[in-house]
Amino acid sequence: MRTFIKYAIPVLVVYIVLLSGLFVAMLQPPEVFGRIMSKLPTVAYFLFPFEPMWLAARRGRLKVGEPAPDFSLKRTDGSQVVRLSSFRGQKPVVLIFGSHT
Amino acid sequence: MVYIEEAHPTDGWEMPSNFKEGVLIASAKTFLQRDEAAKSCVVKLGIHIPAVVDDMQDSTERAYTAWPDRLYIVDREGRVAFKSKAGPFGFDPKAMAARLESLVPSSTR
Repeated sequence: MRTFIKYAIPVLVVYIVLLSGLFVAMLQPPEVFGRIMSKLPTVAYFLFPFEPMWLAARRGRLKVGEPAPDFSLKRTDGSQVVRLSSFRGQKPVVLIFGSHT
Repeated sequence: MVYIEEAHPTDGWEMPSNFKEGVLIASAKTFLQRDEAAKSCVVKLGIHIPAVVDDMQDSTERAYTAWPDRLYIVDREGRVAFKSKAGPFGFDPKAMAARLESLVPSSTR
C-alpha cells in the first residue's frame, strides 16, 4: 500500500499538471495551439480526454439568441463584399466555417 | 462558407490525412495567400455556395470561436439561431439542417 501511494501520487500530480497544460494550450489562439500540438507525440490524444476538453475550451462566448457579430468579407471570386447584416429581414444565413486542411 | 485560418497547415499541426489526401497548405501570411487557398478549396471540393474569406486579423474566427470548423445559423432578425459545438467533434450538419428546417420549412422554399 505504501509503495502504491509512493508512486501513485507523483504520477497523479504529473498527470494533472499535463492535463491542465493541455487545457491552457486549447485556450490559446488556434495557430498557437496548433504549433503546440505539432510538437506533442500522438499518445497525448489517448492519454487525455481530448474531446470533452476541446469542447469546453472552445465553447465561445457567443450564445444562441444573441445578435450575431457582423462582418464584411470578400467573396473568393473577388466580385463583392458580403455583409452579414445585409440579410437582416430577408432570410436566415447559414455560416459554415472551415478551411481546406 | 467562411474560409478561416488553416486547421492543419504544413508549418503547423500537420496530420497524416493531409498527406493521404494531398492537401498540403502552409498557413497564409497574406490575404492573397488565404484567398488563393480558399479559391482552390472551392474548386477542388466543388463548393457551390457563396464563399467568403476571413481577414488576416481572423476577426470573424475570433468572434465566432470558429476554428477549426463550426456551424451557425443566423435568423432573419440577425440573431444566433443555431450554434454547433466546436469542430471537428461538434460539427453536426444534421442538427443544423433540422434547425434550418424549423426556421424555413422546405415546403415553403
